[in-house]
Amino acid sequence: MTHLHATRLGALSTLATAALMTAISGAQAQSLPPLPDSIKSAGLLKAGVRCDQPPYGYKDETGKFAGVETDMAIQIATWAFGSADKIELTCVTAENRIPQLNGKKVDLLIATLGVTPERARVVDFSKPYRWGGSDMLVAKDSPIKKLDDVAGKTVIMLKGSTQAKWFEDTMPKVESLRLNTASDALQSLKQGRGDAYTHDAATLIVIAAKDPSLRLVGESFAVSDAAVGVRKNEAAWLAYVDAALDRMKAEGLYAKWVDKWVPADIRPFYTDAFTKPKPTAR
Amino acid sequence: MEFDLAYLANQWPALMRGLWLTIQVSALSIVMSVTVGLCGAAIRVLQVPVVDKIVVGYVEFIRNTPLLAQLFFIFYGLPGLGLKLSLFWSGVLSLTLWAGAYQIENIRGGLETVGKGLREAAFSLGLSPWRFFRLIAAPMAVRVGLPSMLNTSISLLKNSSYLQAIGLAELTFVAIDRISMDFRTVEMFAAICVIYLALVLTLSFFASRLEYRLNTPFRT
Repeated sequence: MTHLHATRLGALSTLATAALMTAISGAQAQSLPPLPDSIKSAGLLKAGVRCDQPPYGYKDETGKFAGVETDMAIQIATWAFGSADKIELTCVTAENRIPQLNGKKVDLLIATLGVTPERARVVDFSKPYRWGGSDMLVAKDSPIKKLDDVAGKTVIMLKGSTQAKWFEDTMPKVESLRLNTASDALQSLKQGRGDAYTHDAATLIVIAAKDPSLRLVGESFAVSDAAVGVRKNEAAWLAYVDAALDRMKAEGLYAKWVDKWVPADIRPFYTDAFTKPKPTAR
Repeated sequence: MEFDLAYLANQWPALMRGLWLTIQVSALSIVMSVTVGLCGAAIRVLQVPVVDKIVVGYVEFIRNTPLLAQLFFIFYGLPGLGLKLSLFWSGVLSLTLWAGAYQIENIRGGLETVGKGLREAAFSLGLSPWRFFRLIAAPMAVRVGLPSMLNTSISLLKNSSYLQAIGLAELTFVAIDRISMDFRTVEMFAAICVIYLALVLTLSFFASRLEYRLNTPFRT
């Protein structure tokens, strides 16, 4: 009996909190433009997020969606439909995210989507919500201290990556070893098949923090913006998303989420990426 | 999306560099795998103690495991055991070991056609087993085994495309690498298929010339 009481009491208090939350968000939602009917009619937000890119979008040990970008999606659902449950999260990959969006499987992408002219031809971008740069990982005792030091050396990179394009356009004299996966690249670096491994800084920081035999070079290059992707010609929805992003910034939510998802020792990089202006780099 | 010939023309030099590497790796591996085949088949047929069991084990191992797994073992696994080969030689070694196993069987199949009588005649004439193999058995076996040896060599040439997985910049690598940047899938894969086809047809042409020559004594 006591047990039942406790449960009922718990349910009641949850209900009360929910009612209060709805009242509050209802009041604040006035700062957002009206939700377009095309989205409203679905009754929930269909969002595409990454599930292998910690701390942005990934699945935790229990298989639940986690990460800063996942929280952003949940926040938009909360503002749009009044409940954090009114969301359908879909795991998207680098290759399939744009087809998933344009095939209407999802209504927006918060999925480490970098702003590029090629992509801008097929989707619309929101305002950028963070930036992301590239860096290089080298052996701890490597003579490479800055970007220019890799001239004439072999750099490991992934086929089709931002970095592969950047090196080809900017430093074509650099010898490249192009592999298919991040684990192949890391393995090859550790076996000395290349002098450095270049990738998104956000990815490399996590590796460097775990592996004391490696070190980040620490010079940013190929810095680009990440933004929310929506389908072309959905101006009202894009305006809503832009307003929601502004509100996240104004309410200081990004810093809160970074604190929640990123271990303290590597946190400053991610906090800067969401809250500081994009650094000037090559 | 229309088929963009101008794009292909632009990428042509890169494709040709890839083709050249494909030819180098394949040619070297074909020569080496035939050598492995001859040695292995000789060991099997002459029943060299212990070593022939090793050859049997090698053939079974190679034929019953995926080439990609063998390649990854050579490229990523061997350095852990203290042997670090370059990209190029990792590729040559894996293709040689793979095709070598099949060539042993191809040549051994040819050797089966060399009758027992011929062998006894050779030995009674005082030929050593090695000279019997070199002067009588091998030439006959190669003539019989040539079609299947060609088959294995063609497979080797096509399988060299696996080497893209370890980052060797051969023909398939060039195509996949460019596609991942330019998204010109149709043009690139169509182009490399045509190039591979031309390459295999060339190889077949030379093999049939060789077959013709080896058959000279039997033509009337």
